[in-house]
Amino acid sequence: MIDLLSAANHALFVYYLVCNLVYLTTLLVALQTTARHQQNLKSFRLEWLKESRLVPPITLLVPAHNEEKSIRVAVQNLLNLDYPEIEVIVINDGSTDCTLEELVDEFRLTPVRAVYVPQVPCAHVHALYRSSVDPRLLVIDKDSIGSKADAVNAGLNAATSPYVCTVDADSILERDALLRVMVPVLNDPEHIVAVGGIVRILNASELSGGRLLRVRLPKKSFEVIQVVEYLRAFLIGREAWAQANMLMIISGAFGVFRADIVRAVGGYRAETIGEDFDLVTRMHRHLLDRRADYRIQFVPDPVCWTEAPSDLKSLARQRARWQKGLLDVLLKNRDMLFRPRYGRIGWIALPYLWVYELLAPIIEIGGIATILLAWFLGVLSQRFFIEFMIFGYVFATVISIGSVLQEEITYKRYNDWQDVLRLVSYCFLEHFPYRQMHMVWRLQGLWQYMRGDVTWKALKRQGMGSAQERPPLNPSSNPMHD
Amino acid sequence: MGSIFEKLWALGPAGFVLKIIVGAVIADGLLLAFILLRRTYRKQYFDRRDRRVYDFRQKWDALLSGEIPYDTWRLNDFDRRIVEDIVLDAFEAANPAESARLLRFMRTTGLIEKRIFEARKFRGWRRTRALVALGRTRAPEGIAALAEGLRDPHEETRNAALRGLARTASPEAAEEILAWVSEVGLQAPALLIQNALINCCRESPRMLLPYLQHAGKEVREMLARVLGEIPVGAMEGELIALAGDDLPELRAAAARALPNAQHGPALETLAELAQDPIWFVRLRAVVALGEIFDRDAVPLLMRALTDSNRLVRMRAAEGLVNRKLEMSAIFAKVVAAADRYGLHAYLAALENAGLKRELETELRRRGSQRGVGHLLTVLSAGKLSGVEEPAKPSADAATSAVPASRR
Repeated sequence: MIDLLSAANHALFVYYLVCNLVYLTTLLVALQTTARHQQNLKSFRLEWLKESRLVPPITLLVPAHNEEKSIRVAVQNLLNLDYPEIEVIVINDGSTDCTLEELVDEFRLTPVRAVYVPQVPCAHVHALYRSSVDPRLLVIDKDSIGSKADAVNAGLNAATSPYVCTVDADSILERDALLRVMVPVLNDPEHIVAVGGIVRILNASELSGGRLLRVRLPKKSFEVIQVVEYLRAFLIGREAWAQANMLMIISGAFGVFRADIVRAVGGYRAETIGEDFDLVTRMHRHLLDRRADYRIQFVPDPVCWTEAPSDLKSLARQRARWQKGLLDVLLKNRDMLFRPRYGRIGWIALPYLWVYELLAPIIEIGGIATILLAWFLGVLSQRFFIEFMIFGYVFATVISIGSVLQEEITYKRYNDWQDVLRLVSYCFLEHFPYRQMHMVWRLQGLWQYMRGDVTWKALKRQGMGSAQERPPLNPSSNPMHD
Repeated sequence: MGSIFEKLWALGPAGFVLKIIVGAVIADGLLLAFILLRRTYRKQYFDRRDRRVYDFRQKWDALLSGEIPYDTWRLNDFDRRIVEDIVLDAFEAANPAESARLLRFMRTTGLIEKRIFEARKFRGWRRTRALVALGRTRAPEGIAALAEGLRDPHEETRNAALRGLARTASPEAAEEILAWVSEVGLQAPALLIQNALINCCRESPRMLLPYLQHAGKEVREMLARVLGEIPVGAMEGELIALAGDDLPELRAAAARALPNAQHGPALETLAELAQDPIWFVRLRAVVALGEIFDRDAVPLLMRALTDSNRLVRMRAAEGLVNRKLEMSAIFAKVVAAADRYGLHAYLAALENAGLKRELETELRRRGSQRGVGHLLTVLSAGKLSGVEEPAKPSADAATSAVPASRR
């Protein structure tokens, strides 16, 4: 028994060692990539891109479910984006509020004949409307089956551009975000099949008319920790994985895809929980099956601002759902593991996700349990325990601080020094008790999935507006669009 | 790892933990100090810069005219960078007269020579930045240095050189790009090259022809796309010859360029291209036919309305709808053709152009004529009587309200 506990504890140590070394490597790769990207930006003038006649058109797909409070502003913002040629398709996904009426009223929508090629499956479409004010706006009114993926598929069927960009109706894109996200595509249109941009947390920032006036750090501690998490995930994780062409997720809140590839893989899968992760994985599979030479890229400066859960219950649900989505996609694609055909995706990216993302809560909570058991039995090596704690804490803090530093040195969205002070402080504080709570939520997600609970649970939303302007909470807002 | 821990362990557990806490606090402090110092430095730098920019702006005309001796600012790196940035930004929005004035200033002060020198002597990012700056000036004397940049081993530098040449928009720059492309192939993103050539070949599209005839397949296709985007002037003969090329891209480019030809479009050539086996060649030809307001184009567009490709049908319908004076006659022909996909495409184009009500009014005006009632029925029902529409919009029936520019 004692030997078993000792072996488990040492295995746990090795697990953390490898995990942290991977993080450290990704941090170094991300720092180098960011430096290169910054240099690139100095020699690149976005306004030249804006003037070019050859920039490919983009269709923005905006699924909207019960977004009556923010839909006018959101759509107007999208129509005002800096890009030579865009088409905005809003998919009214069975809203029970006045989302469609708001759109009809604001943009003087009139029904149009077939604009629709049902190449990917989706629920019944009632009607298509085009704006008399701005013909770039098309609205699809469809039945809801409670899936964002289904709504995006409807938009995909109506899209006429070679590239589609998925945007959440409750997110805000910076004005030049499309130009920035398309830079890799323009440099290599033959090989780049998808590009993801960075998603940042909007909570507590000041807005006016749907435009971001001032970026502020949220007030609540777990919201700040989410900011650190997002910085770490995007500025380090995705940046580094994309360098090795092993990016497995492009956020559903903001990503550009080649429309023909998305259609070729059958669009989004409505029954999947993590539809964005699922799509990218299937794109990898599709292209690797055909031995295609392709790249899926990440660009760190086109920013999409989105609202993060501002209460613990919603956060717990979101994280549980992410974990369910992860398990769902990994299970469905388990045949890709260790198959030569899938190269680095099958040998590195997916195994990493299995071991260090999917199983992390089990291993971590299991580890805590074995340590407690060893302590209870009086066989816990104090020396091992301290080594283990210091090791985990120092490494994890270094990675978090690395992401904050990268943000500070390069993108610097948090201009108030007090915000930076708080951000750095939370790099030291996030490890207890937030990390353990996070692990429990993720474990709950796994448990729910095993029990067959794959439903979406509502999250509370504040809505688009400044702290002063914010409308009251909308309890009916759709969880699937976060 | 073990040895490190052993050394640390020798310090004793309590002391060790304490030291770690102190270490973490110190690291935290150092990090914050770094950030604060950096922020303070940057604030001071930008405040200083802002003050200097304001100073220069106040006496900008005197600075440009040379009333203020150039040496008062150009020997100071900080000041010189500010002045150069202001001038380069001014180039972006300057009219020709202002551009000439700015260019004169850049020449007189030696700023252009400095950038040319940097573009030739330096490597890496410094060269790239020099090339970008040179491009922004649009100075003809920078073309040679920019052309040398095309042969740089680094992709980013080559791209910067290409963008710079595109800014000059001069045939000399086009010559350099064409020579480089024919020498090494597509060693930069095709879109960048196309964009540069479109800018630079506008005045003399004929310079593309020798390369279109003799370059490799990939380059010819790229050049064909360029040709399709620029006014081709009196090149009808050459375009008709291209319409018979083996490469579909070239035939499509010829179709796209023909409506712009000075001596009028060659309908016969477009009619042939509208029946090409490759769909995008037909599409280009139909788009071109839609732009030609010639009665003879109508039967060709009517035929294209029954094309097997939905995009071709869609463009044909748009071309027909654009002929507003003949709307009712064309609609009668569409109905007579009894092709439900063609009708669908036509009605969709009509709705997208907001002309359905106009056609209805026109038909009602001709109310006494034979067959008008049937036409009105078809118009309001959106389908041919006796022909069942598909229950759901089908892939083939689908046409769109896509703006014409989305081709």
